[in-house]
Amino acid sequence: MSERDIDKMIDELVEREVSRRQLFRLGAAGAMSVGAASFLAACGGSSSLGGGTKTQSKVIQKSALGTELNFSNWPLYIDVAHGKHPTLQHFQKKFGVHVNYTEEINDNTEFFGKIHQQLANGNSGGRDIIVMTDWMAGKMIKLGFIEKLNKQYLPNVQKNLIPALQHIDFDPNRDYSVPWQSGQTGLIVRTDKAPDVKSVNDIFNPKYKGKVTMLTEMRDSVGLTMLGMGKDPTTGSVNDMLAAIDKIGKYVKNGQIRRFTGNDYLKDLPHGDTWVCYGWSGDAVQLQSDNKNIKFIHPEEGFMLWTDNMLIPVGAPHPYTAEVFMNWIYQPQVEAPIEDYVNYVPPVNGTKEALLKIDPGVAKNPLIFPSPAVLAKGHAFKQLAPADDDKVNNAFQQVIGA
Amino acid sequence: MAFVRRHRGILPLALLLPGLAWLIIFFALPLYYQGKISLEVGSIFNGFHFNWHFKTYTDAWSAYRTQFLRSFWFAGLSTVLSLLIGYPLAYAIAFRAGKWRNALLLAVILPFFVTYLVRTLAWETILDDSSPLVSFLQTIHVISPHGRVLATTGSVVAGITYNFLPFMILPLYASLERIDDRLLEAGADLYGNRRSVFWKITLPLSMPGVVAGVLLTFIPAAGDFVNATLLGSPNQTMIGNVIQSRYLELNDYPTAAALSFTLMFIILVMVALWAKVAGTDALMGTEASAT
Repeated sequence: MSERDIDKMIDELVEREVSRRQLFRLGAAGAMSVGAASFLAACGGSSSLGGGTKTQSKVIQKSALGTELNFSNWPLYIDVAHGKHPTLQHFQKKFGVHVNYTEEINDNTEFFGKIHQQLANGNSGGRDIIVMTDWMAGKMIKLGFIEKLNKQYLPNVQKNLIPALQHIDFDPNRDYSVPWQSGQTGLIVRTDKAPDVKSVNDIFNPKYKGKVTMLTEMRDSVGLTMLGMGKDPTTGSVNDMLAAIDKIGKYVKNGQIRRFTGNDYLKDLPHGDTWVCYGWSGDAVQLQSDNKNIKFIHPEEGFMLWTDNMLIPVGAPHPYTAEVFMNWIYQPQVEAPIEDYVNYVPPVNGTKEALLKIDPGVAKNPLIFPSPAVLAKGHAFKQLAPADDDKVNNAFQQVIGA
Repeated sequence: MAFVRRHRGILPLALLLPGLAWLIIFFALPLYYQGKISLEVGSIFNGFHFNWHFKTYTDAWSAYRTQFLRSFWFAGLSTVLSLLIGYPLAYAIAFRAGKWRNALLLAVILPFFVTYLVRTLAWETILDDSSPLVSFLQTIHVISPHGRVLATTGSVVAGITYNFLPFMILPLYASLERIDDRLLEAGADLYGNRRSVFWKITLPLSMPGVVAGVLLTFIPAAGDFVNATLLGSPNQTMIGNVIQSRYLELNDYPTAAALSFTLMFIILVMVALWAKVAGTDALMGTEASAT
C-alpha cells in the first residue's frame, strides 16, 4: 500500500461523515444555503436599485504578486488532507503566495449582512476572494461591490469554462464572476421506504406524511415545487412563486412536511426520520456511498441548478494575485483533486478526464458529471428584483414558521 | 487616599464605575440603537433611515402573534414542569442526601460542561424515529404505532425543560438548604405532622427559591430558538426563531428589533406582575417571613 493510499484511507475515515454544508447550520447561521440560479439565460430581474450604497468598481490592473491571498469560502468546499488543503499548498509552492483560507460563509444572506457595510465604504475587510451563489453574486455586482475582472489575466478561464456557464443573466460575459462549483437540487429518497418516487409531487403523497423535508433555501424549495406545478422557475412570475409557497404552506399545516433543513438530511435520511426530501447532489454522492438505500433522483419535471461563484470584492488588497489564483484553478489537473473531495459539479472543462486518472470511481459518477441530456432538464431560479425578492422571501419565511 | 478622604462622596461612585460603564456600554447603548433601528424604514439595499415608524411594531405583532403566544405557552409549560421535577430533587438534595449532597449537586451541574447545542443535538438523536426509546413508547402505546416524538410540541417542551432545569434546581436548593432545622423541629414539637410542617414551614421559607427559579427558567425559555429548531417542526417555531430569521435571513433589521423589544416588554410586564404577586422581598432573595 502506497503512502498515498493510506493517506486516502485516513481521509475517508475522517471526512466521510461530513460534507460541505453540514456544519454550522445552527447558531447564527440559521440555514445553510445554496441558492439556485442561472445556468440559463433568464429573463426578467431588471432591478430597481435605488441610491444608498454605491461603490465604484474598477478594472483590475497588473501588479506584483502579493505574498498572501485571503480567500473566504464555505465550509468543506475544497480538498482536505491532514487538516491542510493540498491545492492551496500546491499554489504556494508554485507562486510563493500563502493563501489564508477562511471557511466563514455559511449563508448568502447572512454573509452579505455581515460585510455589506464595509463594502459600501470600499473596504473588503481584507478579503481577496469570496464565493457567493448566483443570485447573491448578481446582487453584489449590481451594488458595485465587486471588482471588474481583467480577462487578460484569465486565459485558462476563457479556455476551460464550460459553455453552459459562459453566459448567465446576472453577469452575461463573466466580467465579474468565475464559477467555483455547481450543484443540482433534486429529491433524495430512501428507496426502501419510498420505492417509486419519480415526480416532485410525490413529496406530497400522504403515504409519506411526516417523513418529508424541504430546504430552508427559498430558491431550491420554491423552484422545485414550481416545477411540480408545471411552472418554470426561470421564467415564472412572482405570483407563480407565491402559489408554490401557498402550496408548501398547506402541507406544513397538515403535517406532511416535517421540517425545513440545511443539509440535516445527512443524518435524518440514514436514521429514517426522513424518507423523501429536497436535497443537494454533492451530499447525495456521500450518502449513497454509505447507504445503498439512499438515492438522488432527478424528478421527471426537472431539477434546480445553481453555481457558487468566486468574486473579488472592492477594496481587495491583492486583486491581481486573486486573478492569478482563479486562472490557476482553471486547469483540469488542478481542479480534479478539489472535485474528488467536494463532489459537486466542476465548471472546468476536462476535469473528468483528469479525474479518471486519479479516481475513476468519482469520475464516472453521473451526479458529478451529469450527461448533457440530464443537464438539459436543469432549471435556474429567476433573478429577482429586490422588491420581489423581499416579497417572495418574506412569504417563504412565514410559511416555514419564521 | 487623601483625595478620597476629603471627598467621601466619591468613593462609592468610583466603586460603581466599572459596573456602570459595563451597563452603559453593553446594555444601555445597544438598547438605544436597537430602539432606533426598530423605528427605521428601508432595506439593506437602499439603506435604512429613521422615521418614527411605529407601524413596524403593529405589523410585526399581527404577523407573529402566534409565535409570541406559543413562546409563552412553551416557556410557561416548561417552567411548571421544571418546578415539578426540580422541587422534589432540590428538597431531596437539601434534606435527605447526607454525604451524597455534593455529588448530587455536581450531577445537576455536570451537563452544563457540555455546550447547550451539543446537548440538544443529543436529544435529537435520542428521540429520532428509529430510536429504541421511541420503539418502546410505541410498544407500550404511549404514542401510536407510527407516531413520533421528534418534531412535536412534546419534544420541544421537553427539550426546553431539560435545558433550563438546573436554573430551577440551583436557586431552589440554595433557599431550601438555608432553612433552619430548628424551625422544622419546632413545627414537629407543636404537633405538626410531616405534611403540615412542609406546607406551613418548608414551602413558605423556600419561596424565594421558587420565585428566582421561575424567573431564571421562564425568561430564557421564552426567547429560546435552539430547541424549536432542532426538536420541532415549522408548527413549533418560537419567537426566537422569527427574530433570528428576520435578522439573518431577510436582513429585515427593523422588524427584528421591534420583535425583540416587544418580547422584552412583555417579559418585563410579566416579571413585574410576578414580583407583585410573589412580593419583591422574595424577588430580592430576602427570606419571606415564616410568621
